[in-house]
Amino acid sequence: MKATPVAEGTTPSLALVALGAVAGVLSGLFGIGGGIVMVPAMVLLLGFIQRRANATSLAAILPISVVGATLFGRANDIDVLAAVVLSVGSLIGVQGGARAMDRLSDRRLGLIFGAFLVALALAMLFL
Amino acid sequence: MTAELLIRIVELAAIGLTAGFLAGLLGIGGGILMVPAMVLVLGFGQHVAQGTSLLVIIPAALTGSLTHYRKGRFKVRDALWLAAGGIIGAALGSVFALSIEDDVLRKLFAGLLFIFGLRMLLPRNTSSLIRERLTARNA
Repeated sequence: MKATPVAEGTTPSLALVALGAVAGVLSGLFGIGGGIVMVPAMVLLLGFIQRRANATSLAAILPISVVGATLFGRANDIDVLAAVVLSVGSLIGVQGGARAMDRLSDRRLGLIFGAFLVALALAMLFL
Repeated sequence: MTAELLIRIVELAAIGLTAGFLAGLLGIGGGILMVPAMVLVLGFGQHVAQGTSLLVIIPAALTGSLTHYRKGRFKVRDALWLAAGGIIGAALGSVFALSIEDDVLRKLFAGLLFIFGLRMLLPRNTSSLIRERLTARNA
């Protein structure tokens, strides 16, 4: 499947800034990227196609996580050795994921995102 | 002792691999998986798990975004606006997280997962309701 071009149209900057702020608070507070809020919001509220939402989210996560990592690092709340080993896996995984996107339809990507969240929810409730 | 260390390395790399794959495919950081894994499987404190997660997200987000960028999957403008709000929010969130006790933060994290879990389980209706309302407004 060929790479799908991004959706047409310009999204209001204010909506993006507000969404980013919410994701940022969650990111700093909970050590996550914030994509779990940004992706559904971009798809459901801003009308992004799924792959555009996923890709935009990951790009925004980069500067957002730098802020949190810097502040947590200054407080000595980082296990650098663990981070290095995690990153070895993560760098391989992220390329696999980003490439796998080409082989999935937008609809299927959305289904996988939903299934992931539901699985996480079930794990939280029953594990 | 060496075997234990080896197992831990394999565990960490496997957690990273899974989190990274989800990051590349779904556009999430992977922290929602890494933080509970570090706390529950590896016995990390909540603050250290979160700080480590944030550090790991950086190289994954960088290389993953580059791949997405080359394939023209997002507009840089959109990501920059998100980041503009995001870095302010992240600073506020981090300062607050660092100001509270480890077990309080852990309970807050559990609360986050619980809320997301519940929202996911209250299925389709909620999201299609929002969509209907938005399309009705635009019509």
